[in-house]
Amino acid sequence: MIFREVEDRDLIAKARRGHVEAYNVLVSRWEKRVFNYLLRLVGHREDALDLSQDVFLKAYQNLTKLDDTAKFAPWLFRIAHNEAYSLLRKNRPDGELAVEPQTGDASAGMFPMELTLAVRGALGRLSADQREAVLLKVYQGFKFEEMAEILSCPVSTVKSRLYTALDLLKQTLAPVNTGGTE
Amino acid sequence: MSCSTVDLKAYAVGEMTQREKAAVEDHVRGCQGCREELERLNLTRTALLALEQEEIPQRISFVSDRVFEPRWWQTIWRSGPIMGFASAALLAGAIVVHGFSARPASGSGVDTAQIEQRVEGQVSARLDAAITKAVSDSRAQQAAEFARVLNATKQRYETERQADLATIRQAADYYQKQFGRLLVASNEGAGQ
Repeated sequence: MIFREVEDRDLIAKARRGHVEAYNVLVSRWEKRVFNYLLRLVGHREDALDLSQDVFLKAYQNLTKLDDTAKFAPWLFRIAHNEAYSLLRKNRPDGELAVEPQTGDASAGMFPMELTLAVRGALGRLSADQREAVLLKVYQGFKFEEMAEILSCPVSTVKSRLYTALDLLKQTLAPVNTGGTE
Repeated sequence: MSCSTVDLKAYAVGEMTQREKAAVEDHVRGCQGCREELERLNLTRTALLALEQEEIPQRISFVSDRVFEPRWWQTIWRSGPIMGFASAALLAGAIVVHGFSARPASGSGVDTAQIEQRVEGQVSARLDAAITKAVSDSRAQQAAEFARVLNATKQRYETERQADLATIRQAADYYQKQFGRLLVASNEGAGQ
């Protein structure tokens, strides 16, 4: 991971000097994560792909504004977050995400497809803020401080959203067994 | 550590230091409620991670486009060595300009008069020295000329004197010879 960060820094430095190929290498490293993050935020593959392209284009154009190259990942996801919410505000003035809740309950004993549907359903029932907190923490592995930077809110708010989301997901994906302690 | 102070969710999502994790694990070993709660959180996280990441349908790639390439001034601006050199050159230029521009600004009326007086004094001193030197040179030249003429006169006088002496000697020799001849002739006449 340390070597990866060093290489990312080198690629960023080269891209800043106008090396497009260096930036393409950087894009290839992050495009899948950004695409999946956006896909789970907006719920449409085409929109997620278009947004991903916009995100990397904006990132390239603003690469010189990145003060600390070690913080490239939170900075990139901050752009992705803004782009996604810009689209959502355009499509839905109330800002609620387009992911439709799907049926599904306990994950125990589920087949992979059923589990996938259950997880998607559980995520779909969360609020947009709660879902994004889960995406950034569980799927992207950001620290609370980084999430606070991406979402432009205090760490306490990030923790509150995530913990509430985990409680809700837990009820669907890991319900209390009969005779359980909850 | 009591159940209310144990942050099981932070533990489940990996937001703890090794020391904090050890404390939670120590508590969970002796608390069935927290253990079951942690198992549910782990199960939830495992279920979430079962949702596989999708492959991006189309790779994102950029081609070199002059629109996005940095301008010449952006290239210079982003280059540390060039900017350092430019800064040093700018600083040196500023020092030179300041040096030239500060001179007239620092002179007041009194200073100008003093400078003029000093310059006049220097010019006067140099002029006096030049005149003195010229007079001295002229005198020396005259003395040398006088000495040369005197020597030439002396030499000419000596030459003429020597010539006169030679003439006198020749005349004396002639008269002496004539006298001797006359004496011989008279003796011969007296003997016959």
